[in-house]
Amino acid sequence: MALSSESSTSRDARQKITIQNVSRSYESTRALADVSFSVAEGEFCCVVGPSGCGKTTLLRAIAGLDDPDGGSILVGGDPVTGPGLDRGMVFQEYALFPWRTVRGNIRFGLDRPACDCADCEGRVRELIDLVGLDGVEDAYPKELSGGMKQRVGIARALAPDPDILLMDEPFGSVDARTRDRLHAELLDIWTQTGQTVVFVTHDIDEAVTLADRVVVMDNDPGTVQSTFSIDLERPRERTSRGFVEYVARIRDELGSPADNNV
Amino acid sequence: MNTRTDSSSDAVVATSFEGDLRRYLRGLGGLFVFLLVWWVGAVMTQPSYLVPGPLDSAHAFIDLFGSSTAIVVPVVGSNLVLPTGLAHLVQTLLHYVPGLLLGASCGIGLGLLMGWNGALDDWLRPLIRVLRPIPPLAWIVFAIVWFGIHHTGAAFIVFVGAFWINFYGAYGGVEGVSSELTDAASTLGVERDLSMLKLVALPSAAPQVLTGFRTSIGRCWMIVVGAELFGAPGVGYEIINASNNLAMATSVAYMFLISLAFLCMDVGFRLFERRALAWR
Repeated sequence: MALSSESSTSRDARQKITIQNVSRSYESTRALADVSFSVAEGEFCCVVGPSGCGKTTLLRAIAGLDDPDGGSILVGGDPVTGPGLDRGMVFQEYALFPWRTVRGNIRFGLDRPACDCADCEGRVRELIDLVGLDGVEDAYPKELSGGMKQRVGIARALAPDPDILLMDEPFGSVDARTRDRLHAELLDIWTQTGQTVVFVTHDIDEAVTLADRVVVMDNDPGTVQSTFSIDLERPRERTSRGFVEYVARIRDELGSPADNNV
Repeated sequence: MNTRTDSSSDAVVATSFEGDLRRYLRGLGGLFVFLLVWWVGAVMTQPSYLVPGPLDSAHAFIDLFGSSTAIVVPVVGSNLVLPTGLAHLVQTLLHYVPGLLLGASCGIGLGLLMGWNGALDDWLRPLIRVLRPIPPLAWIVFAIVWFGIHHTGAAFIVFVGAFWINFYGAYGGVEGVSSELTDAASTLGVERDLSMLKLVALPSAAPQVLTGFRTSIGRCWMIVVGAELFGAPGVGYEIINASNNLAMATSVAYMFLISLAFLCMDVGFRLFERRALAWR
């Protein structure tokens, strides 16, 4: 069953994020139960699982937006006590400030006192270039398509130059073709910036396309079921044998509890 | 392909233009019928002062600007000579504008703070439940004993009216701020509550705040005229003053002057609102 799962707590030297025995309950449901794994510096880690497995809760806990009941989360060796500019977050429904233009949204994190950029305007231009938003700098979010909005979301999260990028099903609401383009662009950006990425999704194909390592979670209560290292060259071809095999193995893993029940 | 899109968009433009034209024509028709009914009613009513006709009223309106009146500007203390209608309108504005602006500022300020701060909300909510139902004009007794029924007293009544409408606009607006946006702001380095209020809650509540203010523009005209019926100087006082002399056409002229002033302010503010909320 756990044929390729690996013990993740033993590796420690270059761990950027360490999650230890994290639990979180809401009223009657246990969103997270004793979740432990870690993410290496510069690693692209995808967390997949059915809805309700607590993957978003976990991501919010890393961001410092949610306070777990038990366990600890270390980022760069320090416990997370709240949100910080070292962790940028990209939201599923974009969460752009509708009253700010594209430029204004990207600029938001740079205007905070905690962030001291020498040339903020230059940085904004650089990011607009990076995510391919030239020509719509002065548009408001309502004028943009879903894919464009998420480009703004990514640029905004990247602006303060965080060590870690947390992404919560960021491409869940864009069409398949745009999603493929955004995958390629995201991998380009990641290669350039070398950030540690935690990417939550329920789409196994998406996880295998992007990740160095896939953490598979199960629901009710949310636990880590297994992890897979994806040893495939990028860019990855979805029809290649290796790709299809990984997808099948992860799907088996996700499907197994239901099989047991039957 | 191209031509088809073009012609269909042309058709849309044409129908919306026809729709506009039809609406204007119907609106003009409604006005015309009203004037006709008014005129017939005025001709048939005896004694004639009971219903002044549209023509008499129009004459009275023009006459408002045919003579001059001196008014005293408060604080400055100097005399100002203006055409009579304008002079009384200025008198009204002298307490309407300060009352509206001050009431709106206080109402918006408290609404934002209460909508944002749960503890303050707990403290003040019962008190507000008790005070809110009191009609602003009921405060006129205190306006009279505290300030006297002059500019300050009338401004006080307007203040009360503007306060509540703007309070609820801001309060509701802040309550509706999405937690997703405040989460996004937190991850982007907004730490203090006050910065969150300024950077996220206020702009996000702006549509409701502005709607509240626009509503208060109209409501305060009703209130200000009410206060003036008790004796504060201005157009409201002139309405009752004229009717005391049975110059009902002059009363009607002042009524239309109020309507005109309100329309100008409302249209002006709507234009501002549209520009300020271009992002919507």
